[in-house]
Order: sequence, then C-alpha cells, then structure tokens
Amino acid sequence: MAVQILKEKYAQPVRAFKLGNTAEEGGTRGYSLTVGGEGTLPFQHYEGENPNKPIVAMEVNSNKQLDWKDTLVDAIGKDVVADPAKWAQFNKEAGADAIYLKLDSADPDKGGDSPEACAQIAKDVLAAVDLPLIVAGSGNATVDEEVLMAVAEATKGEGLLLGFAETEHYKALVAACLGNGHGIIARSPLDINICKQLNILIGEMNMPMERIVIDPLVSSVGYGIEYAYSIMERGRIGALTGDKTLAMPLIATVGFEAWRQKEAWGTTEEYAEWGEQSQRGPAWEATTAAACLQGGVDILCMRHPDAVKTIKHQIDALMTK
Amino acid sequence: MDKLQVTIMPEGLSVEVEKGSTLLDAANAAGITLKSSCGGQGTCGRCAVKVLEGTVNGGDGNMSKAKRAEGYILACTAKVEDGPVTVEFPESSRLSEHQVLLDDSLDEIIKESQVDDFEHSDEAFVKKVQVTMSEPNLMENVDDLSRLSAELKGILGTENITISYNALKTLPAKVREGNWQVTVTCLITDESAEVIRVEPGYVDTPPYGIALDIGTTTVVAALVDLATGKKLRQAGTFNRQAGMGDDVISRIVYTEEEKDGLKEIQDVVIETINDLLEELYAKENIGAEDVSAMMVAANTTMIHLFLGVEPMYIRREPYIPGVCDAPIIKAKELGLHIHEDGSVICFPSVASYVGGDIVSGALLTGIEKQDEFWLFLDIGTNGEMVLGNSDLLMCCACSAGPAFEGGGIAFGMRAMDGAIEKIVIDDEFNVSYATVGNAAPVGICGSGLIDCLSTLRTAGVINRQGKMQDISSDRMREGDEGPEFVLVYADETGIGKDIVITEADIENLIRAKAAVFAGIRIMLSKMELPLEAVSKILIGGGFGNYLNLNDSIRIGLLPDLPAELYSFIGNSSLKGAYMALLSRSVFKHSVELGQSMTYLELSDGNEFYDEYVQAMFLPHTDMSLFPSLED
Repeated sequence: MAVQILKEKYAQPVRAFKLGNTAEEGGTRGYSLTVGGEGTLPFQHYEGENPNKPIVAMEVNSNKQLDWKDTLVDAIGKDVVADPAKWAQFNKEAGADAIYLKLDSADPDKGGDSPEACAQIAKDVLAAVDLPLIVAGSGNATVDEEVLMAVAEATKGEGLLLGFAETEHYKALVAACLGNGHGIIARSPLDINICKQLNILIGEMNMPMERIVIDPLVSSVGYGIEYAYSIMERGRIGALTGDKTLAMPLIATVGFEAWRQKEAWGTTEEYAEWGEQSQRGPAWEATTAAACLQGGVDILCMRHPDAVKTIKHQIDALMTK
Repeated sequence: MDKLQVTIMPEGLSVEVEKGSTLLDAANAAGITLKSSCGGQGTCGRCAVKVLEGTVNGGDGNMSKAKRAEGYILACTAKVEDGPVTVEFPESSRLSEHQVLLDDSLDEIIKESQVDDFEHSDEAFVKKVQVTMSEPNLMENVDDLSRLSAELKGILGTENITISYNALKTLPAKVREGNWQVTVTCLITDESAEVIRVEPGYVDTPPYGIALDIGTTTVVAALVDLATGKKLRQAGTFNRQAGMGDDVISRIVYTEEEKDGLKEIQDVVIETINDLLEELYAKENIGAEDVSAMMVAANTTMIHLFLGVEPMYIRREPYIPGVCDAPIIKAKELGLHIHEDGSVICFPSVASYVGGDIVSGALLTGIEKQDEFWLFLDIGTNGEMVLGNSDLLMCCACSAGPAFEGGGIAFGMRAMDGAIEKIVIDDEFNVSYATVGNAAPVGICGSGLIDCLSTLRTAGVINRQGKMQDISSDRMREGDEGPEFVLVYADETGIGKDIVITEADIENLIRAKAAVFAGIRIMLSKMELPLEAVSKILIGGGFGNYLNLNDSIRIGLLPDLPAELYSFIGNSSLKGAYMALLSRSVFKHSVELGQSMTYLELSDGNEFYDEYVQAMFLPHTDMSLFPSLED
C-alpha cells in the first residue's frame, strides 16, 4: 500500500498583491507583477498552491552622500549610483524584477531634497525603466509625510508600493496611497500584535486589505534571523489558519540588513579567516534572502547583483514542482 | 517635644501637632482626610492646600504651575516648624462623603443563593439563651458558675462550657440581681460554648453580629440580627488608609518606610470601622456590648493590616503572606467597638493576591455547586477572578491597577458627588455629561472612564490604539503631559479648571482593561475551555453595579457574550460575609471553598504578557474575539 502523505488543510490563502500598472491598466509599466496568494507554507507544493513567484526588487538609493561600502558600490559602479535613472537601468540588466527606490535624499542630513525633487526622482526612474516600482521614504518622519504624498501624486496610476507606514504615523501615507491607487507597506518591528493592529488601523481608513504588504523588519543572517523567521512563520500560519489581518504578502529589506554587518563588508585583509570578501558579501546577502524566502517573504529588496543572481536561481529551483 | 497649633479653615478647627509634622499629619489629627493617592510622597499633587497665616517649610512636589501661582502647596511635604499656622484645606483636596455601594437587593440575592439550605439556629456563632437556675441553699451549695454551666449543658447540648474572665467577675452579682434568672450570651464552636455576657433577668434583645467588607478603597459594614438572620442596617465609608496610598502595594510600602507605620495604618482602619459601627449602633439604638461576632472579608493585604500582621513579604518574591486562615480573635485585642470578648472571624485567603473577599464572593455566587462553568470577576484594583464549577475552581489576580477606581488618571476620582459617569460626544465634538448626584463635575469615576473610552473611540477622538487623533476641535490640545481632550470647560466645573482626559490616562485604562481580559483568556486557556463554555459571568465589586455592559464589551474589558449571561452582584464580598456570619457550617464550607481554589500565578511564564499585549487595543488585536462589534 502506498504511503499516504498527510496534508494540512488551511482555512484561507494569503491575499495576492499586484505591483505596477501596464498601459491597459492605466500606467506605463512594461508588465505588472502579482505576489502572494500562497495557500500553504512556502514552497510546500504537494500541499497547496504557491501561484506566484517571489520577486526581487533591487535598490536605487537617492542619497547624495551614499554611505555604502566601496566593495558594494564598486559592484554597481560609482557613476551609476550617482544617477537614479542609470542605477535603475543597471538593476534591470542585473535581473531585477522591480525597482526599490529608497529616497534617503529627502533627509536633511542626506541631501535634503524637497518633496518635488523627490517626486521628480521617482518619475525619472519610471521613465528610465519599465519595471514596477516600490518607493520608500528616508526614515525621517518629519519630512517623509510630504515627500511620499508628492511621490504618490506624481505617480498616480502607476500602481506603486509605498512605505513605510508605522503605528506612530500611518495616516498621511494611507491617504496618499488610497487616493492615487498605490499599495502600502505596513511595517512593524518583529511583533505579530503590532503588525495586526497596524493592518487593522490601515484597513479602518478604507484601504482594501489587498493593497497592504507587511514588512516585519527582518534582520540579517548572524543577527537574529532565527527570531525573524519564527515571527514570519507564526504570522503566516496565523494567516493560513484564518486570521484576515495577517493574510498579506511579506516584503523584506534584505540588502539593507545584510550590508550593515561586517561579515558582509569586512575586508579580506582584515578578516582573512572569513574568506574572500567579494564572494562573502554577496553570499551573506543571498543567504539572508534565502532564509527570508523560507519564512514566506514575497518581495526581497536587495543590493548586490551577484546576490540577486544567486537568489533568483534559487527561487526558480524552489518554484519547480 | 514642642507642640504647635494648626488651625484649619474654613472650619476654624485647631489641632496641636508635634514640631516637624506635616500638614497632612495635621489633617489626620483633625479627622479630615485629604486626597493622597501617593501616600504622602509628594508625587500625586492631590493634597493641595493654602497657608493663610504663619509659615511652613517645604510643600514642594508635583503640582501644576497655575496652582502653585495661586499660592497652593502640598500638605504632605509641608512641615510645621515655626510656630502656629492657619491653613485652608479646599474642598477639592478633601475626600468628600463617599458613595459606597449600599444596595438594598441584599436579601433578594441571599434568597436566590443557598443560605436557606442551612439551619441558622443550630449553626450560629453566637447564641443568647435564657437560663433559670435553682436557688442555692445550705444543702445545695454548688458554686454559681457550676450551677450556670449545668443548666447550659442541658440547653446547648455541649459538655464543654467556659466563661470569659470579665463575665465571671460579675457573675455572682448578675445571677442574684436576676433572682436566678439570667440571659447568657455564648460564643459557640463545634466543641464548646463560651459565656461572654450575663444579663440579669430575661432579656429579649437578640444577639447581633457585624458583616464587614474591608476594601482597599471602601469599607462597608452590615448589622445583622443573629437570631433571625435579618440584616438590619448597612453603612459604608471610604477606607481612611487611602491617605497612605491608593493600592495595596503602596500601603505595604507605607508600613515599611514610616516609623510605626504598621501600627498607624492598622489604627486608621480600626478607626474607620469603629466610626461605621457607632453610626449603625446609634441608628438602631443598641450598644457595642450587644454585638458579639464580626465576620470580616477582605483581601490578603487588608487582613494583614487589619490584624497588624507584618505584610512586607506579600510584595516580595515568592509573594508569601503571613497568614491565610487567621484564628478567631477577641475584639478587645484589636480595639474594635463590639463586645470586648466578641469574636472577630476572618475569611480565609487563597494566596497573597487572592483574598478572603474573593472566597466570600465565590461563596455568594455558589460557583462551587454548578455543573456548568461560571466565571466570577471582581473588577477592582487587583482584578481577581474565579473560573470553574463543582469539579474544579481556578482563581487568579491580574493586578489591573487603580485606573478603574480613578487612580493614575489626571482627573480620576472615586464615585463621589460630581464624578462624571457618562459622556456623549456629538458630530462636532461637543461633549455633554452626567454626574453622580447631579453635582457640578469635579472628575471622572471608573464607570465614567469606561464610558469615556468607548465614547471617545466611537466619536473618533482616539483610534483603536488609544492614540489621540487630529480632529478639528478646540477641545483637542497639547497639555503638559501630551495630547489631551477637554471634557468639561472650567466654567462648568466645580473645581474651576478644565476637566480633561489625557492620552496617558487612556493608556492607563487600556492597560487595566487588557490585564483583566488577559486574565480571563489565560484562565480559559489553562482549563482548555472555549469562551462559549462559560454559561454565566458574575461581576462583583463596588464598581460592579455601575458598569455599563455594552461599553465594557466595546472596549474589550469583558468578553463578547450575550448580555443575559452577565449578572451584576454588587458588593459580593460583604454579602458572602453576611452569609457566613449566620452559620458556622457555611463558614466552614467557605474555608473548604478557599482551599479548593487552585491559584494560578500569572507572573509565571510569558503567556500572560502575550495575552496582555494582544489586549492592548480597542477592543482587541484579535477582532474575531468580538464578533458582535464587527460592522
């Protein structure tokens, strides 16, 4: 008698989110991407549907005094990182599914770009490549509200994903996304309860739940990724077993997290026993991304072209039934 | 030691205090209780007074600039050191006559419960019997006591008769005065009877007893006719220990930090009780010597303070009380105004934070006799609860904090005259309100705060996290401690300043309600019971009677169950004490009841914290727990 494989029956699938609008959909993107929609834990194809492939959004940072380590900048090109449009094109060629534009230059300490200037950067990126776009503010709450409002208005109809909404300030961003047809990233610090609460608060402003993507604020390999994984897993199981306030796709800023760590950027000379930095750095980022994929992350925001190449290869393998 | 005179206005009352005493001490000496949530630490700012003549040292502490500019100082930190002073204690700084739960449905509730199952007369703690003795002569020359004992053995059916020293002293005179007919008051136990009073002749007055509830906030006493089991009269007041801290922990701290603190705090509660007793006696025209037994229900800390037992280990890990099941104590040992040899019987506690008041309440509910699961909640400072049925009882204390009683809230107050108990907010954020006694508003009481939370949320003044929202109203403004919303403008109040609710207040309330709800969830989860398995929820505590059920569910304080499952049973502690006072077997049963309750320590493990965090949302992070609130 054949072995009977036990299958978990879940109450509901994760919601699917559509990123980017094509011409027919009222935008100018070459294609749109749908993420999420999982009916089971990540890549458990025998048990349920994993209808959409996780995607990689490569970062373009508007910071005029970019503080990225040389090793990372060199992999992209000094002249490339100075020009968001060029950088977007570079990312497209490096295999990015989407662009993750981080508007650090809005911060007075990192350039102090006005809301209008920031909106122009977003438009430049949209003009340079036809990939779907994700835009995040500088992290400086006092300027981000207006910056993201300006970006949302200037890119109306393109179906962007904008972030970050946090419990302390989410209202302005929700309003901006709602009025201009964008999705929103709801960020909570590795806390299921705050995550749920924020989603409820955003939902109460009449934002459809299908337009919310959760950022659980992951960490890097070696810096508590296990905890991040367990929170993501717990949230995903909650979603699948019927919790509507958790049933959203996940986004993770993998590149930011991995490249903060000296294990990624520490030079070969200084840390000889760790091996060759030019391989170690991308590996650190790709490994962090791989852990996130297992936790159920649908959108990986990444930096190094080699790491992207590696992880895309792995995604393809994982998606093969 | 130098004595200095303090004259208190507007009464014109003069008291003498030792040099270096605070004005708060002077107030206590004059029998005036000032508000003092912090117990005289200078942090709550409630005891603001004005010096009219003379000078004092100090008086600093937490007080608004405006108040300071008007010349107010804090009584608790102001010391009398340089000669006589005259001070004004304004109405707003005094505890006014307290509205204490004194419902008349007591007999009705007792009737509903099982008190009738017990034969009072055979099980009474006290009996008053009329005895006729044979007159002695030269042939029959047995002593007076033996003569009385012989008769009592026959009447009471017990071999073991003793007599109190005081009764003995006057026995020869009393029996002869009554011409060998006397009325004898006896304290009865299963094994013996003790004569504590001998009255000459046949006296018809019944033996009396007192049922007493010593709450952290309020003290209520009921005078009971022990012959008929009838409650004659009830009186309540605030616990004067309130001047030494709002909650049990700050009271314990007081006993540790003040010289003779324990003695002092015990004296204060005994005084509070004695004043209540005198009030009852005057109205019923009886004397202290007519009352022979007192049944006391109180939380574990209150019992320690009442008996003068060292309480400090209650607040230290592993939280062990000095005594759970206290022995019966003679009234004279405590200085209580009942018969000096009368019995003072305390309800047994379960643990440091589940006390005799909960055992007493559980007794009243009859939870231990049910086939179905019942939940008994006492929503006070400690937030105790009991869940179970005839097979199993579990209890816990979730330390909700004093928010529902007005503690830790900018304009929080107990349910006294002028306390806002209900608000209505219209579309333009205009606020209308109702107050206790229809007096000009002076603050907000517990039920008002629950109503406030629910109404502010519905009106969109706060969001589900309790954060103040950007609304177009002048009532929303930035205060000294963050955003605040004006409920009543100064000109309509009884205190001459705006009554506001702050974002910090809201947070305190949400914490309190989250603690209660989390406690309920943990108990259910420990018993592996779904909420639907609970067939009745009984809500007790002085606060229980005013609670609005819809508001309480809307803010997520109480579980989303149909209204018909809820019963408000008022001061369950007092009512249980009343039941036990009437019958030794009921009391014995309640001792067993207390022992049969399994205490669940919530501070052990992460589970409580996890539930607590989830409940810090209006109504709850898991909205599916509140299906009736979904749009």
